[in-house]
Amino acid sequence: MISEYLDALATALNFDRALARTVRDEVEDHFRESIAADRTTDGVEAEQRAIAKFGDPHVLAGQFAVVSLAKQSRKIAVTILLVLVALFITMKTRVAWYALTQWTISEDVKPIGNIIGSIDRYAFWLSVVVGIGCWAYISGCRIPPSFDLEFRKHLRNFFFLCVASICALFVSVVSDGILTVLQLLGPEWSMKVVIPIGSMTVEIACAGVLALQVRNAVVLISPAAALTNIQERGKRP
Amino acid sequence: MLKGHLDLIVLAALAAGPAHGYAVIEEIRRKSGQAFDLPEGTIYPALHRLEQAGFLSSRWITVESGRRRRVYALTRLGDRALAERRAIWRQFSDAIGGLLSRARPRRKPA
Repeated sequence: MISEYLDALATALNFDRALARTVRDEVEDHFRESIAADRTTDGVEAEQRAIAKFGDPHVLAGQFAVVSLAKQSRKIAVTILLVLVALFITMKTRVAWYALTQWTISEDVKPIGNIIGSIDRYAFWLSVVVGIGCWAYISGCRIPPSFDLEFRKHLRNFFFLCVASICALFVSVVSDGILTVLQLLGPEWSMKVVIPIGSMTVEIACAGVLALQVRNAVVLISPAAALTNIQERGKRP
Repeated sequence: MLKGHLDLIVLAALAAGPAHGYAVIEEIRRKSGQAFDLPEGTIYPALHRLEQAGFLSSRWITVESGRRRRVYALTRLGDRALAERRAIWRQFSDAIGGLLSRARPRRKPA
């Protein structure tokens, strides 16, 4: 009976496997303690009582889903900041490398290079400002016990900021890619192309990690929101 | 009404020292004189939420039976939050107490 309850709870929390495992272990420990403390000799009755006192697994999963959503959101915000730092370092490394090897962009593509360079700069700093705002916003949000309207509003605002920061960041990465290609259009190709190509690979990988992180969060939101709706229904008489 | 104060209740239950979920529930029951009868499972999302907020920290231990157990403890931030909430609650309780103790019928004006 206990294992059926634990399975139901873990299945409901399946959108966040790590959380499902943790909760399962924690709740199992609770049940064992509760049953051991029950003075009745009938084990089945003790199990039934422990389950009844614990509450509906779907309602509980809904309460855990709110915590999971908040955790995922904070994780995305921190990832955005880390990716921005990584991009800044790779960009600066590439520029320093060009200076060190006295590798300049060819004169024919210089005008377009300047325009793309400006787009890159503005997009990157826009992404930084919005990214920091995004992190500050979600860090300051209180995690409510249930998926209330205020929390929904905060999540919506947070995702709006996230999308703005990520879009600007992608524009910056694409601009960097174009600038690197323009740089590589130069006359000679040697071992010195390793740094620009390597740094571009790092930038693309960082953007990919971020995209994956956002995708995972979006995949998590719908089942979590469905669970929180169950929680809301559970409150109604 | 109880749910609105769940965080304060859980923080207060952990003020005595680190404890696992079941012990927290028992502590709440004992300290409240069995007055609080909320579904036991509700405590766990609250513990996770408070940990996310930085008020609690947790670690896993293995008990004698070989079972894994998650033990929660108040962080410094949690300690401060508890002190603040306790002060607010006392202020509120004193205000309500004052109001109720003065709730005598007014004399009719002459």
